[in-house]
Amino acid sequence: MTAMTTIERPVELKGTSIRSARAIERRRLLLWLVPPLAWFTVFMLIPYATLLYTSLGHVDDMRFIPGLSLDNFVRVFTVDPYLSVILKSARIGLMTAVFSSIVAYPLAFYLAFHVRTQRLKFLIYLLVIVPWWASYLVKAYAWKTILGSGGILNVGMQNLGLVHEPVRLFLYNEFSVDMTLTYIFTPFAVLSIYAQLERVPTSLIEAARNLGADGWMIFRRIILPISVPGVVAGAIITFSLAFGDFVAPVLVGGPDSVMISNVVINLLGVAFDWPMAAAIGLVIITLGLLLISASGWLEEKTQTRF
Amino acid sequence: MTTGIELRNLRKLFEGHGHASWAVDGVDMTIGAGKFVTLLGPSGCGKTTTLRMIAGLEMPTSGQIFRDGQDITDQPVTDRDMRMVFQDFALFPNMTIEDNVAFGLRVKSKKGKYTEPQIQQRVAEFLDLVHLKDHAHKKPHQLSGGQKQRVSLARALVTDPKVVLFDEPLGSLDANLRKIMQLELIRLHRELGKTFIYVTHDQDEAMAMSDAIAVMSQGKVMQFGTPREIYDRPANRYVASFIGHAHIVDATVDSKQADSLSVRLRNGDRVGLRGKADAAPGSAVGLMLRAEDLAFADAATDTIGGRVVDSLYRGEYVEYVVALNGNSGVVHVHARTDLPPVAHGSAVALKVNPAKAHVVVH
Repeated sequence: MTAMTTIERPVELKGTSIRSARAIERRRLLLWLVPPLAWFTVFMLIPYATLLYTSLGHVDDMRFIPGLSLDNFVRVFTVDPYLSVILKSARIGLMTAVFSSIVAYPLAFYLAFHVRTQRLKFLIYLLVIVPWWASYLVKAYAWKTILGSGGILNVGMQNLGLVHEPVRLFLYNEFSVDMTLTYIFTPFAVLSIYAQLERVPTSLIEAARNLGADGWMIFRRIILPISVPGVVAGAIITFSLAFGDFVAPVLVGGPDSVMISNVVINLLGVAFDWPMAAAIGLVIITLGLLLISASGWLEEKTQTRF
Repeated sequence: MTTGIELRNLRKLFEGHGHASWAVDGVDMTIGAGKFVTLLGPSGCGKTTTLRMIAGLEMPTSGQIFRDGQDITDQPVTDRDMRMVFQDFALFPNMTIEDNVAFGLRVKSKKGKYTEPQIQQRVAEFLDLVHLKDHAHKKPHQLSGGQKQRVSLARALVTDPKVVLFDEPLGSLDANLRKIMQLELIRLHRELGKTFIYVTHDQDEAMAMSDAIAVMSQGKVMQFGTPREIYDRPANRYVASFIGHAHIVDATVDSKQADSLSVRLRNGDRVGLRGKADAAPGSAVGLMLRAEDLAFADAATDTIGGRVVDSLYRGEYVEYVVALNGNSGVVHVHARTDLPPVAHGSAVALKVNPAKAHVVVH
């Protein structure tokens, strides 16, 4: 029996040492998790919790009274003009997404399939990005000089004899907001569509031509279906950016073209109704999450696997 | 009028980054209708560029391409009715296998030629031909490499072209699958009777499948002939060493008869061989010696002497590396595995099969 114990003991010892090694490993792993958890807590958890906490209270005599009321959320959907402004912002976002995609597609297509040298490709790429070096405000103001009564569009049309007096329809309305936002956010759509078109191997186009397909058929049957996820991704980016914009409506929008971000700014800075602003913010964030999930699903669904 | 494809002094200049080079440099070739012809050579020899020019995917810098006697040099790729099978398969990833195969039947130029039920029936027929009828509704990414290549083949054949072009179609498959596909291609060529023009760098593949092989190097055709001609009677040193890894030993023509000749190695050993050579007595030639045409011999007459420097067991045979006496060169010898092994360093005499030995002048 003594022989047995001498055999058992080292085995047991070995077992415990393995266990303790694992424990050390586990502790080390936790240590590695601290920075990301801290980051998440400071920059995500606390702000969102604060937002939620604020939205559940109300303001009385310029003072924040904490509470647990859903009144603010009910007001978002029932009190004018919150819901209609959200819907209008969504409409502007949608128009921007559609226009950006239409403007961006041909350029991305040209860049992906017709530019042969790397140098020219880089140059065009640079030209697409370069407006981002200029201030957003400057670009928005630029559209005033294009669309305004004395703007290049009106002067041009007058000189051509198309109209006799300046057309006022171009500026200070929803259309001018759409135009300005489209101009500003199109580069995102270009890059997104281009990235997807770049994935189409040359041999696919050669194979299609070899089988007797003309350019239109190659585009409709092969290139367009493969590029759909890029268009969707670009549209989501431009929609989101346009939806939350507050500068374009102020500069080129008309008196009624207030967007939801302007409403939030007013609630914060003028009306001091922080809880209401927080509630609107949370509604927008939720809508945004839904939209991103839906588009992620759509992108996945339409993504071509090579 | 010749039927088939004829290439006349075909050239292609590639320009890039400040320098230009002839990718294809004067190719003349006649490919008979219904033949299986392979363009063989290392990468960069111009074989793929030649194929792409035949297909119309590349425009020749100069020269002409004829098809059944008609100049098609400037005919657009879409009108050539030659189908290409690509190395990377080039299947349309967004379409089902069925739609991939049907693509060539639905193009504008074929409009009205087939009704939709006819297309479906024809596609089913050709998917059956390549043993893929159960995969009709899958997408390309769901298939294996070999299956993808068979779809690509069906897509090319379904439109009933007279000429099918292959650009290293088996290059991305593993060795076993490659052997199976080789047999498949031979079968299809025999059954369908179409002209197959095939590009590969794999000489075994070329030898096994082709009616004729064009060995290419640096944009030129080094030799165009049957696999047997190319293997047994290579036109020059390049072809001899590229095909079957022949060893070439420097020699001088000793004497010459109508259908035989005798050459002398640098060390004085003499080798007699049958056949003709385009070389006068006294001129320097290369003696091509293949491992399977050499054997160890006892007699010292009519043999070449050397010393074993290495041996490799290959399973089927033992490969000996023999350094010829007098620094005359190195040859490999295949010996049966049941013979007693020859020790490294031992002196040996080698007998040359006179019917298979061959001299190359260039």
